[in-house]
Amino acid sequence: MLIPSLEELEKIYNNAKKDPSFKKEFNFLLKTFAGRPTPLTFAKNLSEKLGAARIYLKNEGLNHTGAHKITHCIGQAILAKRMGKKRLIAETGAGQHGLATATVAAKFGFSCTIFMGEIDIARQRPNVFLMEQLGATVIPVTFGNKTLKDAVNAAIKYWIENVKDTHYLLGSVVGPHPYPVMNCDFQSVVGKEIKLQLRKFEGKPPDYVIACVGGGSNAMGAFSAFLKDDVRLIGVEAGGKGNQVGENAIRFPFGSVGVVEGYKSYFLQNSDGNLQKTHSISAGLDYPGIGPQLSLLHDTKRVEFVNVKDKEVLSATRLLAQTEGIIPALESAHAVAFGIKLALKLPKEKIIVINLSGRGDKDIFILAKAFKDKKFMSFLKEYLKDV
Amino acid sequence: MGLNLIDQQIKNKKRIRLMTHLVIGFPSLDFTIKLAKLMAKNGADFIELQIPFSDPLADGPTIMKACEESLLNGTKVKDAFKIMKLLSSQVSIPLLFMAYYNTVFKYGVKKFCQDAKLCGASGLIVPDMPVDEENEEHLISNCRKFRLCNIQVISPVSTNDRLQKNAKVASGFVYATAHQGITGAKNQLESSLEAYLKKVKKYFSVPIAVGFGISQKEHLEKLAPLSDIAVIGSAVINVINLSNKDNIEEDVKNFINNLKIC
Ligand SMILES: Cc1ncc(COP(=O)(O)O)c(C=O)c1O
Repeated sequence: MLIPSLEELEKIYNNAKKDPSFKKEFNFLLKTFAGRPTPLTFAKNLSEKLGAARIYLKNEGLNHTGAHKITHCIGQAILAKRMGKKRLIAETGAGQHGLATATVAAKFGFSCTIFMGEIDIARQRPNVFLMEQLGATVIPVTFGNKTLKDAVNAAIKYWIENVKDTHYLLGSVVGPHPYPVMNCDFQSVVGKEIKLQLRKFEGKPPDYVIACVGGGSNAMGAFSAFLKDDVRLIGVEAGGKGNQVGENAIRFPFGSVGVVEGYKSYFLQNSDGNLQKTHSISAGLDYPGIGPQLSLLHDTKRVEFVNVKDKEVLSATRLLAQTEGIIPALESAHAVAFGIKLALKLPKEKIIVINLSGRGDKDIFILAKAFKDKKFMSFLKEYLKDV
Repeated sequence: MGLNLIDQQIKNKKRIRLMTHLVIGFPSLDFTIKLAKLMAKNGADFIELQIPFSDPLADGPTIMKACEESLLNGTKVKDAFKIMKLLSSQVSIPLLFMAYYNTVFKYGVKKFCQDAKLCGASGLIVPDMPVDEENEEHLISNCRKFRLCNIQVISPVSTNDRLQKNAKVASGFVYATAHQGITGAKNQLESSLEAYLKKVKKYFSVPIAVGFGISQKEHLEKLAPLSDIAVIGSAVINVINLSNKDNIEEDVKNFINNLKIC
C-alpha cells in the first residue's frame, strides 16, 4: 500500500543526490540553521581523571534542537518540498526527532503531526511542549507498548491514509527502503567531520568510535566514515534494568531476524514473531528493532555491540557533567558510560571518540527524579501551587 | 484442493459472495470456533482467519485491539493451525489465513505453507509482503508448491505497473482495498470506487474481492455489479464488542443474515 510513495521518495532522493543544488541547499542549512559543523572536544579532565586512553567527544548536542536528528530532518524536508507535500509527520521517542521535525516544518512552511507513545509523552514532556510551541500537533499513541515502536506504527497507518499530501519523515535508519540508506547518507556528515577534526588534533584516525544505538541513525552517521579504516566501531545498546525479557532493548544477542514495520533486520521478538516489550531509561533507545545496515555490520563483525545498564548511564551523565561541563542526553550517556569502561582498560596513547548524539536538557525531570533531588521536587510543588 | 474450492465458490454466481473475518482467539478460541461455524451456516462463502500479531500495520483500531486482546489471552500461532484444522474438517466453505509476514517468516515460510495446507487452509493473505520481495522470501512459490492461493492485496494508489505485477502472480482472487487506508468499518464507500474496480477488472483475470470499510447491506448492493466478493472485517468485531458474552452468537448471526442480498 505504501510502495508507490516509497518509490516516489526513492526517485526524488536519487535525483537529489545527483543534483548539486540539493547539496548546496542542504549544506547551507546545516551550516546556517543547524549549526554544523559541531565541535569535537578533547575531554581532557575526564581522560586525566581516568588516567587512561584519550577521550574525544563529538558534541552533536550543540546542533539546533539539541541532537543529531535535525540533520536528516533538513535533508528530508528539502525532498518533501520537492515532492510538493503539504504535511510532515513523524514518530518520536525521546521527542528529539519530533522536535527537529516540528522545527523544519515551521521553517519550511509544512503543517506537522507528531506521533508519540503515551509513556514517552509522560517522560519527555518538555519536548512535547516545545513541539507544540512550534505549531505541531502531538498525537498520543495509546496502543501496544505506548513507546517508540507503536509511534512508528501509528505514523505508518496515518501515512497509508494520507499519502497524497504527506511526507513521513522517519527519524532513524530503520523502516522500508529508501529510509535507512537516505538517513545514513544525511547523517554521514557526522563521521566526515570527526575524521577531519581529529586529524587536526591528533594527526591520525581514532582507535575507537563509540555511539549509542536506538534505531541507529547517530551510530551510522558516526561510523560510516570509518567502515574501511582500521578503527574499532562500537554500538552501545540499552541494557535497561536487567537481562529479562522486557527489561532492556538489547537486540544483540537477544534479538532474531524478522520483518516488521517494513524492514528486515534483528528484532526483539518471541518465537511466534510478536515483538516484545522493551525498557530503557532513555526513550530514544527503547525500541525492539535496529537498522538493517547495523544488523549487517553486526553479522559481518564490523561493528561490535555492547550494552550498559540504566544505573551506569546515570553515573556517566553525572561524571561527564562534572568533569567536562557537558550534560549528555540519556541516550548519548550510554556511549559515555561504555567509553569510560573501555578507556580504563586501554593504554594512554589510544584514542576514543564518543559520539554525543544529544544534550541532556530534555532529561532534567528524569534526572532530578533519579538523583532524588529534593530541591527540584519542592520547586515543582511550589510551582504548581502558583499555577 | 484450495484452488478448486475457491473457484467453485465463485462459479455459478448468482449473488456477490461474502467473506467474513475473525481474529483467531478473539474474544476467545472457543468463540472463534463457534462464530466460524455459525458464519458458514448462515451464508458466509469464505472466512478469513487472522492470526493475531503484535504490530498489525494494515489494521485500524478495531482489529488492532482484537489482536492485542487475543495475544493477551495467550493465543499462539500453533493455536491458529489447530483451529484451522478443526474448522476445515467441520465446515465446507474455503478458509483462508490472514497473517502478517513476520508471523509466516518466523515460523518458516515453507513450513507455514505446508502446515497451512495440511490443516486445510485454502489460501493466504499476507498484506505486508510486496511481490518485489519474492526472490528473497519465496512466499508465492511456496504457496504454489503447496497449492494454496496467494491472495494479492492492492489499493487505489497501486500504479498500473504494480497492478500488472500483482496480476501476474495472482491466484484465487485479488483483494482490492476499498479505499487507500487501513481496516475499519465506514459508513460510506468512496465515490471513486467504481472507476477503480473497473480498472482492476482490466488487469486481473481472477475474481475481485473488496474489503476495508465494508459494513452495510447497501455497500454490498453497490459492490455486487462491480466485484465478486465482499469482505466484512471490522464490522463483525464491532458487533462482538457491542454484545454481551451471552448474545454474541445471536448478534453475529443476525448481522450476517441482515447483510445478505440476493
Ligand atoms: C539524543 C538521541 N540520541 C540517540 C537517539 C537514538 O536514535 P538513533 O539510534 O537513530 O540515533 C535518540 C532518539 O530519540 C536521541 O534523541
